[in-house]
Amino acid sequence: MNISLTMRDTRQGVIITALTVLLVVTALVSLTTGAVSIPVSDVFVILLRKTGLITNVSVDSTHELILTTIRLPRIFMTLPVGAALGVSGAALQGLFRNPLVEPGLIGVSGGSAAGVVLMIVFGGALFGSTDTLFYHALIPVVAFAGGALATFIVLGLGKQSGKTNIAVLVLTGVAVNALAGSIIGLSVFYADENQLRTFTFWTLGDLGGATAGKLIVAAPLLIGSVAVLLFQSRALNAIALGEAEAYHMGVNVERTKHIIVFFSALAVGVSVSLAGIIGFIGLVIPHLVRVLFHSDHRLVLPASVLGGAWLLLVADIIARTLVAPAELPIGVMTSLIGAPFFIALLMKAKLNNQI
Amino acid sequence: MYEASNISFRVRDRVILDDINLTIQPGQFTAVVGPNGAGKSTLLKSLAYENTDFSGGIKINGTSIRSYSPKSLSLVRAVLPQSTTVPFAFSAVQIVQLGRYAHRSTDSANRAIVAEVMELTQTTSFKNQEYSTLSGGEKQRVQMARVLAQVWEETVYPRYILLDEPTSNMDIAQQQQMFALAKTICERNIGVMAIVHDLNQAVQFADQLYFLRDGKITAAGEARRVFTKSNIEETFCCRVNVYHDPCNNCPYIIPERADAVPSFNNNFLNIKTSSL
Repeated sequence: MNISLTMRDTRQGVIITALTVLLVVTALVSLTTGAVSIPVSDVFVILLRKTGLITNVSVDSTHELILTTIRLPRIFMTLPVGAALGVSGAALQGLFRNPLVEPGLIGVSGGSAAGVVLMIVFGGALFGSTDTLFYHALIPVVAFAGGALATFIVLGLGKQSGKTNIAVLVLTGVAVNALAGSIIGLSVFYADENQLRTFTFWTLGDLGGATAGKLIVAAPLLIGSVAVLLFQSRALNAIALGEAEAYHMGVNVERTKHIIVFFSALAVGVSVSLAGIIGFIGLVIPHLVRVLFHSDHRLVLPASVLGGAWLLLVADIIARTLVAPAELPIGVMTSLIGAPFFIALLMKAKLNNQI
Repeated sequence: MYEASNISFRVRDRVILDDINLTIQPGQFTAVVGPNGAGKSTLLKSLAYENTDFSGGIKINGTSIRSYSPKSLSLVRAVLPQSTTVPFAFSAVQIVQLGRYAHRSTDSANRAIVAEVMELTQTTSFKNQEYSTLSGGEKQRVQMARVLAQVWEETVYPRYILLDEPTSNMDIAQQQQMFALAKTICERNIGVMAIVHDLNQAVQFADQLYFLRDGKITAAGEARRVFTKSNIEETFCCRVNVYHDPCNNCPYIIPERADAVPSFNNNFLNIKTSSL
C-alpha cells in the first residue's frame, strides 16, 4: 500500500504468481511419483472425488489408497513445514541483518530438538500414553519452548552495546547447539531401543510420519506463524538500515523483534516436532530469492514461503525416488544441497568483506 | 520547540552528559561543537530518544518525549546517523522510500516527496544504483534524503531533524551544499540540530551554537556572539585566533601551530581547566 514504486509492485505480482504455479505443478509431480507411479488423471479424479465434486468415475483402488493415506498427508505436512522454514529463515536474516543466519545456526532447531527428544524419551513415563491428542499437542509446545529459549539466549548474548555482534552471535549459537546436543545425547543414553529408532530417523528429518492427528494441531500453528511473519516485511525493510535507524523511522523495534523471534521459534519448533531437523531451507531459499529477484522484504518473505515449500517438495521427491522403494532421510537431502551452497555463500561474503 | 532540560547520563560511575540544557527552535539551525569524546553523539542519541536511560526531561512541542510512541515520534523528528550500512542489496531510492515508513500517504504522494528530496540532495542520478556500491558522500546524501522524506510534509506542528556529523565523508563543495540545504530546510517550519566538526562551517551556518566538553556545555548562545577565542580555546584546548571574513561577513578561526611535544598542550589543558 505504501512506499513502493508501481513497477516493483507489478514485478512482485508476476514473481509470486510464477512461484505459485511452479509449486502447484511440483505438488502434482510429487503426488504422481514414488514407488508406485499414479497417472495425473487419476490424481485429479481422486482429488475431485474427495471433495465430492464427482462420484461416478472409478479409479484403481490401490492408487486411491496410496494417495489418500500416504501421499496427501505427506504433502500436507511438507508444504507448511517448507513454507515455515523458508519464511523463518528470511525473517531471522532480516532481523539479524545478516544473510548467513539460519534457524539451525542460531540454535532454534537445536533447542526445539532438545525439547522434543526429552518428550520422546520421558513423555511416555510422564503422561502415561504417547498417543493422546494432549501428547500430540504438547510436542509442538515443547519444541517451541526449546526453540524460543535458545533464540532468546542467542539474541540476548549476541548483543554488544545495542548492536548485534555477529561473531558473538554465531559463537553463542554454537554453545547453545552444543548444550542442546548434550541434552539430546543424555536423553538418548536413557532411551530404549524403540525410542532410539524413532529418534534416529527423526534427527535426520522424516516427512513420512504425517498423520491427521498430528496435522490437526500443527498445521494451524504453522500457517498462523507464517501469516504473522509475512506482516513484518515493512518493518524488516526499515530494520535493514539498523535497529536505531528503524526506531528513528517509527518502527517499534523491540516489539517487532519479539514477534519475529517468537513466531520463527514457533514455526521452526513445530516443524521440528513434525518432521525432525531439516536444515538449510531457511538459509538457501531467502538468499536465492534475493539473488534472483531483489531484497525488498515484501517480496523476500512471501517468495520464501513459496520457495521453501517448493524446495522441500523437490528434495522429498528426490529422496523418495533415488533409492526407491527405500527412502533417503529428508534432512540428509536438504543438507546435501544446502551445505555446498552455504560454503559458496561464505566464500562470497569473505570476498566482499562482509564477515 | 525541542527542549532538553537537565539531561544527565552516566555509564556506571563515568559521567557522559552532565546537566545539559539545550533548545532547538523551529526555523533555526542549531550546531553543537566539541572535542572528541565530549558526549556529542550521546547527546544526539538522547535527544533522538534512542538512548532512554538519561535523567532529566525532553519536551517536543510541549509534550514529554517519554509519552510519544515510536511512530508518533517519527512524525516530528528524524535522525541522520554518522554512517549507515545496509547488509542487503537495496537501491538508493528504496532507502529514501523507507523514510515514508510511518506515513499513511498515498503512493503518488510518497513518490512525489521521494522525488523532490532526492532532487534536493542531488541523488536522483544514481537512484537505482545499489546503496552499498555508493561512495561515502553519496551514501550520506541518500540518508539525508531519507531523513528529509520523513518530515517533509508541511504540518501545523514544527518538525525537527538531528544530524550527526552530516558531512564527515564529503568533499568541501558537498559539505557546503549539505549545510546550505540544512539551512534552507529550516524555512519549512523545521528545526535543525547538527553536530558539526568544522568550527568555521558551524559559525557560517548556525543560528545557535553550543560548545560541549566533558559532557558539559561550556558556552551557548547566538552563534556569532559565542564564537570567541576564549570559548573555543576552553572547549577544545587548542590555541586559536579568530578573524573576520569580510566576504561572508562572518568570523573564522585559524588554529595556532601546535608543538610536537604534547606536554605543552597538557600544560595548557591543566591551566585552562583549573581556571574554569
